Amino acid sequence: MAKERLVVIGGDAAGMSAAAQAKRLKPDLEVVAFEKGPHTSYSA
Amino acid sequence: MVTPAAFRDDYGIDARVLHEVVEIDLKSRRVLVRSLEEHKEWWEAFDHLMIATGAVPILPAVPGSDARGVYGLHSLQSGITVRNVVDTEKPKKAVVIGGGYIGLEMAEALIMRDLDVSLVEQASQVMNTLDPDMGALVSDALMHVGVELFREETYKGIEVSDGRVKAVVTNHRTIPADIVILGLGVRPNTELAGRAGISLGVRDAIKVNDRMQTASPGVWAAGDCAESFHLVSRRHVHIALGTIANKQGRVAGINLGGRYATFPGVVGTAVSKICAIEVARTGLQEREITSLGLEYVVGRIESTTRASYYPHAGEITVKALAEKGSGKLLGAQIVGVEGAAKRIDIFATALHAGFTVEDMINLDLSYAPPYSGVWDPVHLAVRRAAAALTGRL
Repeated sequence: MAKERLVVIGGDAAGMSAAAQAKRLKPDLEVVAFEKGPHTSYSA
Repeated sequence: MVTPAAFRDDYGIDARVLHEVVEIDLKSRRVLVRSLEEHKEWWEAFDHLMIATGAVPILPAVPGSDARGVYGLHSLQSGITVRNVVDTEKPKKAVVIGGGYIGLEMAEALIMRDLDVSLVEQASQVMNTLDPDMGALVSDALMHVGVELFREETYKGIEVSDGRVKAVVTNHRTIPADIVILGLGVRPNTELAGRAGISLGVRDAIKVNDRMQTASPGVWAAGDCAESFHLVSRRHVHIALGTIANKQGRVAGINLGGRYATFPGVVGTAVSKICAIEVARTGLQEREITSLGLEYVVGRIESTTRASYYPHAGEITVKALAEKGSGKLLGAQIVGVEGAAKRIDIFATALHAGFTVEDMINLDLSYAPPYSGVWDPVHLAVRRAAAALTGRL
């Protein structure tokens, strides 16, 4: 069975906070984030 | 800042920069991705979709807003761009349009880089998230550091020469400019979500519930593109701040990770600094209270940031607003020198707790002369408000 997949649109505070939390709690989740700008950001 | 490489190596997240999602297909559970470097597009499948598209600067439809030398600020990259322009093109005259957080912080930054800075504000005072009497203190501080301030003037357009900004035109004057900063606020960046049929709410922000779910199953949203619930006005609002974005993102992520978390709402807390002056606000301001049909009293005091006799004690003005009858705290604003602003967090916490100003008088706050008088300025303001409630002014 294919892995469960989360797509995140936007690589700033909200998007990457969600991505990091989800991945931490569910390590099997495949997480892909798309950011249109040149930077991503996150404060743990 | 965390780089895409760190996200991959430390977090196991595949973060791809310079990749724009240009379409959401809810029916087939996929998004159309465009690589901005390779100029190609392809579809990516999802089981869950998290929308965190942020906010974008409001660009007024006036002539010249797209000229070279005109900048909005909403991302790390846009800040870097302006800094590079100041470094390499050495502009001398800057005009900032709009006296909100972005406008004021940019005015400060440009003054520190020795530019001549003018600021155009449509209202009677800058910082319209404060009541005008508190905003006036910020206007004074701006002029004190050398910003030329034009209040009650409307931005009409930009004079352009050879594709470059030459001057800013208001309804009263023409101000020569080498660089222009647009600080007219932001709007939720939700065109993509709206086109996909995801429900939008106040100011076109994405509608979400307490768990940060949108009305579309499996689709979540958080941050500057999403609505928040205001715990004092009990209404949905759109407030674009990183404080809220991080908390909403965390809640969405916990739910996406299979647990259960909620984000109850916000009270509208914000803080800023303009040179030596600290500015803070939380809750509702007079205009908002009136528009809800509520009546209120004001407790406004001038005091000092430390015990009055202690070295480096400086001015602080605190204003507390309380509902007539119930005495419930509705909001507060603070303007003062170093040490003033973070006192707003006491008021913010009191708003979350639903305290009355009478409750706040007996709060066991810390005291020693380097930090405050034995009655903190916060105590003094709520005492004044409580006195106004009972008519013992």
